[in-house]
Amino acid sequence: MDFSSILPVTIGAILLAGLYATMSYGLALIYGVMRIVNLAHAGVIMLAAYTTLWLYTSFKLEPYLAPLIVVPLYFLLGMGMQRLIVRRIAGAAPIVSLLLLFAIWLIMQNLAYVIWTGNTQSILRPYTTRSIQIEALDLTIGWLRLGVFVAGLLTLIALQFFLSRTYLGKAIRATTQDRDSARLVGVDVEQISMIAFGIGIALSALAGSLFAMILPFNPDFGRVLMLKSFAIIVIGGLTSFVGIAAGALLLALAEEWSVGVLGLQTSLKDLVSFSALVLVLILLPNGLPALIGRMPSWRNKPTRSVSPVGSASPTGGGPK
Amino acid sequence: MTVVTPPAGRAATRSRFKLGREALMSIGGALLVGLVLAIIGLVLPPTNYIVFTLGFLVFLFTAQALAWNLIGGYGGQTSFGHATFFGIGAYATALLQQNAGFPPVIALLVGGVLAALFSQLWGYPLFRLRGFYFAIATIGIGEVTRLIVLNPLRNLTGGASGFTIDAAAGSGKLEQYLTGLGLAIGAFLISYWVRNSKLGLGLFALNMDSEAAETLGVDTTRLKAAALAISAFIVGLTGGIYARAYLYISPESVFAFPVSIAMVLMVVIGGIGTLLGPILGALIYVVIQDYLGAAQLTIGARTLQFRDVQLGLYGLLLALIILFEPAGLVGLFRRMGRRFRRGRGAGGDATAQSAVLNQQSEVE
Repeated sequence: MDFSSILPVTIGAILLAGLYATMSYGLALIYGVMRIVNLAHAGVIMLAAYTTLWLYTSFKLEPYLAPLIVVPLYFLLGMGMQRLIVRRIAGAAPIVSLLLLFAIWLIMQNLAYVIWTGNTQSILRPYTTRSIQIEALDLTIGWLRLGVFVAGLLTLIALQFFLSRTYLGKAIRATTQDRDSARLVGVDVEQISMIAFGIGIALSALAGSLFAMILPFNPDFGRVLMLKSFAIIVIGGLTSFVGIAAGALLLALAEEWSVGVLGLQTSLKDLVSFSALVLVLILLPNGLPALIGRMPSWRNKPTRSVSPVGSASPTGGGPK
Repeated sequence: MTVVTPPAGRAATRSRFKLGREALMSIGGALLVGLVLAIIGLVLPPTNYIVFTLGFLVFLFTAQALAWNLIGGYGGQTSFGHATFFGIGAYATALLQQNAGFPPVIALLVGGVLAALFSQLWGYPLFRLRGFYFAIATIGIGEVTRLIVLNPLRNLTGGASGFTIDAAAGSGKLEQYLTGLGLAIGAFLISYWVRNSKLGLGLFALNMDSEAAETLGVDTTRLKAAALAISAFIVGLTGGIYARAYLYISPESVFAFPVSIAMVLMVVIGGIGTLLGPILGALIYVVIQDYLGAAQLTIGARTLQFRDVQLGLYGLLLALIILFEPAGLVGLFRRMGRRFRRGRGAGGDATAQSAVLNQQSEVE
């Protein structure tokens, strides 16, 4: 127990949560629109990290500018993936899409392994270690981590705006809530699925690009992040991006506190997230909103939340 | 992929007329193959690489694939966590034999039983989850187990440095071969029995439509738990046999994610939900690994070892199979067979292969 470290650890967790949330939006968006869990998520995060590295080593592009290229690139890649491959298995049993996207992940992982070898890489720039010192509170905050957090926050705001104010965003929400009805009112569901898939992949890639700036990575580092993303979207209840951000915050806090405050070994940090994943699925399969929903006294009138998945629930009872 | 094939329909409707003959043929065939292979093993000197090294691996992987198929193929519950059973079987056997002085047979069986018990520990809570959620949760279980074995239990398991078994306590080539063969035959017979039993029928039913099955009085949780326990027991035994044969185990070798992946790959490549598919898958898996193991390809200045690209190749194979031949190699052969026999009337019927991959989802 180390109570003096609560404040820095908490701030570290909040900064990390921004990144965790960013990596989870894509998974939730794709699940919402297509009802498939994108196992290739892990591969996309990892490949985007390597793309960022490649842009830096080959073109001397500063990593913080990399998202400007990575995001559109992966948006196109995602749309292509959807049109050429994923669309063919839309509506099939879960195992089909799981295995197909798993296969794509394996291919991506192997691609990275062949091109960049299995060694752990990291991008080091002069500003990587620069930080803000707050003497009074004995705090050190890395500039880059702060920047990544702000990027995550901006992504959330942009997503909320996009999904609530633009035609495309509304069409995505409509498709998420009820595919058939959306089709009835004239939404081109096929095209929306493709675009949403592209955006989902682009979001995962953005997260990968941001990760590459602050953490070392190797071809296998996506798996851990994918499991964490999944835990986050389940905790967040799959109902809103704000919920996902809250889920990310909870997971990051659980991880950082268990190591920084409770004194767990650093090597067991992932154990905390994976246990959280399993426990949440077992105990709280509908996420936090379901728990909050069970306490009527707390409940105000339902806020207008952007729902990425409608009422699908892990234990069945979702839309037929 | 819109065709919905009634899965166990054949087993149910035609069993009265054909089950007797078919059962005799299958069981007899399996035993005959086993006998021939056993004689080959007894006759040849134990230095024969193809028989005693590759053959042994094929048996081990066959048993694993058949076991995975029970829950993943028949029951449609995609598990990415079967490495836990393999690891538990391996560690339990190694520890009991080495540290507690158990006789090998008892150690192996206890390993299998422990794996089965462990499967119930996570099986029951997780069976409430559907499709994706179950699959992802099993990845989580696999990782949690691996990390626990690696770190908090390192005093017992040797942690990252692994655990070595005295060579004297290990198994000889012939013993490995025969135990592997016995287990593979056993797994086949169990698979055959499950497919034609009430358990199998229930599994096919819940695989097609869980809610409908429940409405008809199928206790889905109990059936899934039973299938998982049998599956875990077999995989646990393969773990023990592996440990006794290779004499060195570590969390990264027996609890690793690729161990789970291998089982999924073999079954899907061979033909998910079929009886022969997993066997074919295991055979091909081992042959590919062995024949291409030393292969290399030089592109420009770089030389690619096969083992560097094998996961990607399996991924490619998996993607192609899912997109073009969801029933795997068995489906491919069956299609070729139908084409070959065309004209002799519709002779070829679908085996009790469940339409796992053809089935429409509940959502769309």
